[in-house]
Amino acid sequence: YTGQGGQESEDYESEEQLQHRILTAALEFVPEHGWTAEAIAEGAKTLGLSAAAAGMFHSDGSELILHFVSQCNTKLSELLEQEQKLVQLGEAEKKPTDQFLRDAVQARLRMLIPYIEKWPQALSILLLPHNIPSSLNLLTSMIDDIWHYAGDQSTDFNWYTRRAVLTGIYNTTELVMIQDSSPDFEDTWRFLENRVADAMNMGNTANQVQSTGEAVVQGLMGAAVTVSYAETSRAVR
Amino acid sequence: AGGVSLRRCSTRVNLEDVNRPVIDRIIRVDHAGEYGANRIYAGQMAVLGRSSVGPVIQQMWNQEKDHLKKFNELMVAYRVRPTVLLPFWNVAGFVLGAGSALLGKKGAMACTVAVEESISDHYNSQIRTLMEEDPEKYKELLQVIKQFRDDEREHHDIGLEHDAEA
Repeated sequence: YTGQGGQESEDYESEEQLQHRILTAALEFVPEHGWTAEAIAEGAKTLGLSAAAAGMFHSDGSELILHFVSQCNTKLSELLEQEQKLVQLGEAEKKPTDQFLRDAVQARLRMLIPYIEKWPQALSILLLPHNIPSSLNLLTSMIDDIWHYAGDQSTDFNWYTRRAVLTGIYNTTELVMIQDSSPDFEDTWRFLENRVADAMNMGNTANQVQSTGEAVVQGLMGAAVTVSYAETSRAVR
Repeated sequence: AGGVSLRRCSTRVNLEDVNRPVIDRIIRVDHAGEYGANRIYAGQMAVLGRSSVGPVIQQMWNQEKDHLKKFNELMVAYRVRPTVLLPFWNVAGFVLGAGSALLGKKGAMACTVAVEESISDHYNSQIRTLMEEDPEKYKELLQVIKQFRDDEREHHDIGLEHDAEA
């Protein structure tokens, strides 16, 4: 886009930037109108544009939701980056892993609070086949970010295990949250705390299961040897 | 449980500049390759560790361990995910090493020669790719890969030497 003089105007803005501005303005109207073209139209109007600007977007509100998720993820990354700086400068204590994960997930989920009434609608739209690649991408990079700032340095299969576990924790907590009516969602945060504690214990449990498994196998081998010895003795007699 | 330690800020690569898809792939494949090479030498040592070529294999294995360590660091610095096939390379590498060693010293050395030949070719094409991209931006990575390529060629030559003698 260039002006008539062949020069770009000073407030030149790409279509993408314009769309971002409209979607950000539209968020204010989501609690009332839901994740819909109406909300986008209202948002466009506050920017002095015609409501027809909503025609730039899909009618199911997909872009609005993806924009919101992307914005939340960016905010989370900035938050975690700042926290990390404080720790590096020695101005804050380094948190133990379970607390770090709890706080990061809670911070991210709290961003949903103003929109919590309409969030179930958003979740179902994010699960539509044409949105899955984008929504999955946003989810995995958010989880990867959290582990990165938690200090994860795994270069083996643990890389996958940790991310899978945290994704499970995040998704289940999100579902609990949308049905939670306790004051300030305290039930949700308690659920989160329990899930994170479970995850931390999994490592220990795996070791215990392995030791128990080995003990059981040894017991069975001993039993097999004894029985076969008894059989052989009987046969000989 | 799990000892997740805080990363020091020293390896701060500016990830915004970097051509993510290309670098991701390079580091992931190289990491998998060095991991596999480690397992191959482990397999060979399991069979031929006490033979006359034991020390030679051990030395080459030690260098591969250093290579793997370096790629572990690069993987964390560039935030690259490891290949999901690691458990497979774990077993396949060991089996290849042990299997070739069971054929005798010649077998083990022939395996080494073949593997190192293809690894050096592979590193060479990565060097070409990075040179085409931006030699300045990827200077550190290029240095590492060139060094490793030279090490692998050395292994290849050692393999040839012992293959002829054995």
